[in-house]
Amino acid sequence: MDREQLCMLKELMALEFTVLEFHLYLDTHPTDQRALMEYNSFVQQLKVLKQKYQERYGPLSWQEPSSYPWQWIEEPWPWEICYE
Amino acid sequence: MFTPNDQMRLARAYVPFQIFSQRLNPMEGLMKGTIFPELYFPYRRHHK
Amino acid sequence: MWFYEKKLQYPAKVGRANVKMAKYLITQYGGPDGELAASLRYLTQRYHMPTPQAKGILTDIGTEELAHLEIIATLVYKLMDRASIEEIKQADLGGYYADHDKAVYYVNGSGVPWTAAYIQSKGDPVADLHEDMAAEEKARATYEWLINLSDDPDLNDTLKFLREREIVHFQRFGETLQIVQEHLDAKKYY
Repeated sequence: MDREQLCMLKELMALEFTVLEFHLYLDTHPTDQRALMEYNSFVQQLKVLKQKYQERYGPLSWQEPSSYPWQWIEEPWPWEICYE
Repeated sequence: MFTPNDQMRLARAYVPFQIFSQRLNPMEGLMKGTIFPELYFPYRRHHK
Repeated sequence: MWFYEKKLQYPAKVGRANVKMAKYLITQYGGPDGELAASLRYLTQRYHMPTPQAKGILTDIGTEELAHLEIIATLVYKLMDRASIEEIKQADLGGYYADHDKAVYYVNGSGVPWTAAYIQSKGDPVADLHEDMAAEEKARATYEWLINLSDDPDLNDTLKFLREREIVHFQRFGETLQIVQEHLDAKKYY
């Protein structure tokens, strides 16, 4: 995996992690409006970046369009990546 | 020792509610394992 | 239902292959305080939770634990990568090798396979949430002992991430406990 892709993948991990953190927080604080606003804003940013990543490097999620041949099984799988 | 308030009763465990005030930027949050600075309690390794 | 995302939650690195460390670390895969036990515990306890917050938090943390399970498997896989028979023998993993080669299997650090007896689903939400908080603390402690055992800064970086997640989960379960207790009190007295 080249540097550019790895860098984008880490950005994606960071955004998705931020969404997860707000998600768990909101489970026990469903009426915290400020946290909800932050959550919605990060969900939007994550969507944009994920779209960009997938257009460039192939699907990360299960229900994504694929070019030919079937891209989902393209290597490397997550445990095979060198995250240096 | 902390003093229980009148909404608490004996024989019950309490964890104070977090009140969201600030967050770290996404990459720093990922590296630390939380985006909430008030929940960040890093391990200081001790050599026994 | 669940869908797989083809990426790790955290960029899990190891500095070098290290069979001994793989042997210690695998307890967080299939051991009593490991990620499999955590995930399956929360995902099965959620059916008896009385409030929407509790159903949500057990579903979401149970799901995050599956992501942690994948991180542990990745670390074990990388630590075992290209290990020679000699190294496996030296790490006293010959017994494991005879049963599994270098495949990742659900055992604790002493090779005992995972069992559902590690977890409980009591049907009492207060008792279950206390178990969940204890589980987070035990997993936190396990990560600290693993960090003490490891001299690999790259590996420790990921172990510190996983340890911090236990703290955040403890906080969420603690808040959930409060919500559930208030809910049960309201049912009793009003």
